[in-house]
Amino acid sequence: MEVRTTSYHLSIIFIQMKITKIFITLLLCATVISCSNDDNMVESLVGQTGDLIVKFDNGVGDQDLIFDVSYDKSSNESYKLTSVKYIVSNIELTKSDGSTFMYPEIENAFIVDEADANNAGEIYITLNDVPAGDYTKISFGVGIDQERFQKGADGQGNLLAEAQEKEMLWSWATGFRFIRLDGVYSDATVTDEALNIHMGSVGTSLDNYREVSLDAPNTVIVREASTPEVHIKADIAKVFDGQTSVLFADGYNQVHTDETTTPVIADNLMGIFMIHHVHNE
Amino acid sequence: MAILWSCDSDSPEISYTPTYLQVEQPANFPEIQYNLSNNPVTQEGFDLGKALFYDGKLSANNSIPCAFCHEQAFAFTHHGHTLSHGVNGGIGFRNSQPMQNLAYFSEFMWDGAASHLDLQPIIPLTSELEMGETLSNVVDKLKADTYYQSQFPLAFDDGEINSENILKALSQFMLMMVSSNSKYDKYVRNEEGVTLTEVELQGQNIFENKCSSCHATDLFTDQSYRNTGLPINAKLDDTGRFKVLENPEDLYKFKVPSLRNVEKTFPYMHDGRFATLTAVLNFYDSGMVDNGNVDESLKRSDGSFGISLTENEKVQLIAFLKTFTDNEFLNDTRFAEY
Repeated sequence: MEVRTTSYHLSIIFIQMKITKIFITLLLCATVISCSNDDNMVESLVGQTGDLIVKFDNGVGDQDLIFDVSYDKSSNESYKLTSVKYIVSNIELTKSDGSTFMYPEIENAFIVDEADANNAGEIYITLNDVPAGDYTKISFGVGIDQERFQKGADGQGNLLAEAQEKEMLWSWATGFRFIRLDGVYSDATVTDEALNIHMGSVGTSLDNYREVSLDAPNTVIVREASTPEVHIKADIAKVFDGQTSVLFADGYNQVHTDETTTPVIADNLMGIFMIHHVHNE
Repeated sequence: MAILWSCDSDSPEISYTPTYLQVEQPANFPEIQYNLSNNPVTQEGFDLGKALFYDGKLSANNSIPCAFCHEQAFAFTHHGHTLSHGVNGGIGFRNSQPMQNLAYFSEFMWDGAASHLDLQPIIPLTSELEMGETLSNVVDKLKADTYYQSQFPLAFDDGEINSENILKALSQFMLMMVSSNSKYDKYVRNEEGVTLTEVELQGQNIFENKCSSCHATDLFTDQSYRNTGLPINAKLDDTGRFKVLENPEDLYKFKVPSLRNVEKTFPYMHDGRFATLTAVLNFYDSGMVDNGNVDESLKRSDGSFGISLTENEKVQLIAFLKTFTDNEFLNDTRFAEY
């Protein structure tokens, strides 16, 4: 918007210079005036806020994620899930000019729970009072970062209570589960054995928080009267077959606090997200 | 105008005008670990925390407050209980730890499962064996209670009854629980002309030679986790710190406990298996077993495990340990229920 307006003025300048030098003084005045008009426009955008909806859409490869449906993975293993939850925090939006907006910390942690999905399998997160602007990138953390965790209760509002209600807090210690996948798996030798991926950081001893940065395929236009929807697809298959392919038979059917297996899952988790499309109203 | 307006108002706002309290920093203690700037202690927050500590509403059946297992007269341990019983007849699997000087610690519980004081209460509160409650339920119960409706706005600027403020209030209460006025403290700080007896001084000498590498500083713990070669109780099969990180090197390791008020915190060890200090010292002298991961510092030159103590040394050590008893703290009415 800003760039277009500026080039428009430059072309005016160019044409008018061709006509006559006498107009230069007038032109400068005009430029000054139009510049200040310009500023007014930018200011009105800066003062303006709007909402932004982030939609999380869990899938498995090219299929929708449906509870209790069997999905194949690598090495002839398969799995069925009954719960899929993860924590997304520190959502930050980047404008086309590189400036960023970090959503306020106290509101900036969300539990994305497949059980809360609408019939289309989408879980909505609404960000309120986002500065109006044209955003091209969204980044967020998966889990809870150490800085936030080390504050204890401070600045966390009711997050701990909500996390506990969603069974995203360890019961035997104080820490968050960053992702929780529960279900069963089968392979050539076992059928419907327990599958529980409860990965998080372990106190301050093991940091499994990871950051994700996603480019938007088209600009996310936030205005007071325009609420864009950012549709993020999350490929749960990549939790097991991502950067590293893991085998349930090798112990990845039970991932809790182990310092070898949990970082592998955390790294894989980082790669499950992509922005599929953006709806602008 | 403004004054008239507020006088006319039917619902006067409860104003947040806290009285700030100072958390002690005794001269002979390590530095405070808790970040007080995130949660400054106020009289109002302390009062709220104390009310929560003594309130059964924090448990599922409304009858097991924190204080149930943490009685002041016994340095906030569960008097005489090896393990404690919670809601619905559940039995916990570790001995209730004393609550004192928590401001100077950075990790909590026998296995260090809580790395922030604010977060520690979540463990007993939500454990099915202890208080069996959820934070959300507690929030709902407190919101329906007129005392809490009026006390939260006095204690916190935002006045919210939520998990953040519940936990902060409990921390404020706990941060003030400082035990630093035992006979030993007054002796090392040269206060009130306090001296140790001959036998206590002999005990101190043994302690410094044989105990203080782990029971270090005037908190009497280096805050590390160690396996002391306790025979494994198969019924509990408590793997200790291993539960936190699943690291085989942590098998059967437990936090080196502070020895403050140790005379009053019986029974001893993580499962309360020893009823007396004599039993503890007998174990160190001759009861240790090699369970595969015993702390190297407990190895004797002949390869066996243990800390050799004569009967006389045990008596002298116990006399010294009893100088850690702080009657001012144990009887401090600020922390008492009534």
